Amino acid sequence: MDPNQAPVENYANPKTCLFHVLFKGAALAFYILSALFFNSFVIIFVVTVLLAALDFWVVKNVSGRILVGLRWWNEIDDLGESVWKFESLDQESLARMNKKDSWLFWWTLYLAAAAWFILGVFSLIRFQADYLLVVGVCLSLNVANIIGFTKCKKDAKKQLQQFASQTIASRFQSTVQSAFTLV
Amino acid sequence: MSHNDTIPLYQSSQSDIDEIENMMSNNGFQSNPGSVLPARPPSPTRPSIPVSSSSSPFVQSNLPPLPPPSSSAAAPKVTPVPAPPPPSSGFGSAPNTLTEPVWDTVKRDLARIVSNLKLVVFPNPNREDPGKALRDWDLWGPFFFIVFLGLTLSWSASVKKSEVFAVAFALLAAGAVILTLNVLLLGGHIIFFQSLSLLGYCLFPLDVGAVICMLKDNVILKMIVVTVTLAWSSWAAYPFMSAAVNPRRKALALYPVFLMYVSVGFLIIAID
Repeated sequence: MDPNQAPVENYANPKTCLFHVLFKGAALAFYILSALFFNSFVIIFVVTVLLAALDFWVVKNVSGRILVGLRWWNEIDDLGESVWKFESLDQESLARMNKKDSWLFWWTLYLAAAAWFILGVFSLIRFQADYLLVVGVCLSLNVANIIGFTKCKKDAKKQLQQFASQTIASRFQSTVQSAFTLV
Repeated sequence: MSHNDTIPLYQSSQSDIDEIENMMSNNGFQSNPGSVLPARPPSPTRPSIPVSSSSSPFVQSNLPPLPPPSSSAAAPKVTPVPAPPPPSSGFGSAPNTLTEPVWDTVKRDLARIVSNLKLVVFPNPNREDPGKALRDWDLWGPFFFIVFLGLTLSWSASVKKSEVFAVAFALLAAGAVILTLNVLLLGGHIIFFQSLSLLGYCLFPLDVGAVICMLKDNVILKMIVVTVTLAWSSWAAYPFMSAAVNPRRKALALYPVFLMYVSVGFLIIAID
């Protein structure tokens, strides 16, 4: 044991991290390796897209919540307008989030999208329109998650800043007013 | 939480300072669309507590109100309602969508698929109000139905299975997108994903028809089944699409939908 080594923070949610990576990796691996085993495009398509869809659901509903405390969805309000809703844990819980978890979350998201993009370029070069279809679907699912979570994170930061400045402002106001009443 | 129209839990007499502070905290919480809420209680679907802020899209803001500064020496404040537990207990016990168990999310999504299917495809009292039709749209149902239809067609085909599947999938997916764009370009008012979702759910009857045709290979039977299911699909899609556009353009919006379902019907009949 190296005495100078700082204690390494472990993953706080290893099982969730595993699932987060599992479906992404499985989809990519299946797509790449399947040409060796299966002749049928249908099976490749269905399994890959199914794995990508499962991954989308897991990231959006489970690992987003648990690893980085963010959530996004779309609702249609009473006026019939579409509204994007973002939800995040409060400041204290966000600060308590495991750094390794969130690093893993964001980086695997970006890497998976990049990998699908590269695969898409390959199939474009080879003029395989049907494989391009598969890649297109998987890429769009990944990109949707990236956009959703990035927007959510930005809004969380903005909201926290607003909240903080508001608290300061209202405290100041009330202190001033109570000072006047006491006078 | 808007203090203006809810009855304070404590019959405290509000001084002027309290009123001003409450007004300030209300204005501060008129959040914009898309802004983030601290963790709040579940059911993002339907509100249970009426809130006065009709301008804000947040119909259910079960937030604890901005906590009044505790250092103030003024009269006792209206304290927050006990409904949501404090957000700092986010990780464990708070019953909100951010910390619910995974199984709950799964159940909620599955229940939504089933209810959407029932709303769209089967006769029910809400049908004439298309805005309500797919309020909680989701794309899982359509995804499953499109893939299932492609698989069924591919299974029934004796040759060129892959092409059949790819064509069916691409036709349905691209068709749904184009039909939605068609309505939008005709000056109609629909929401993109809601319409995709609806067109996908309306494939359910054709799915059933395709399964029946797969099992029995009689041409006459196939034609009857396809005609019936085609009519059912069109009937399911009609109220939503027609209500979305100007009445004079109804036919322009509906004709492509019908055309798409007819072409899928032909695919089903022709495959052997």
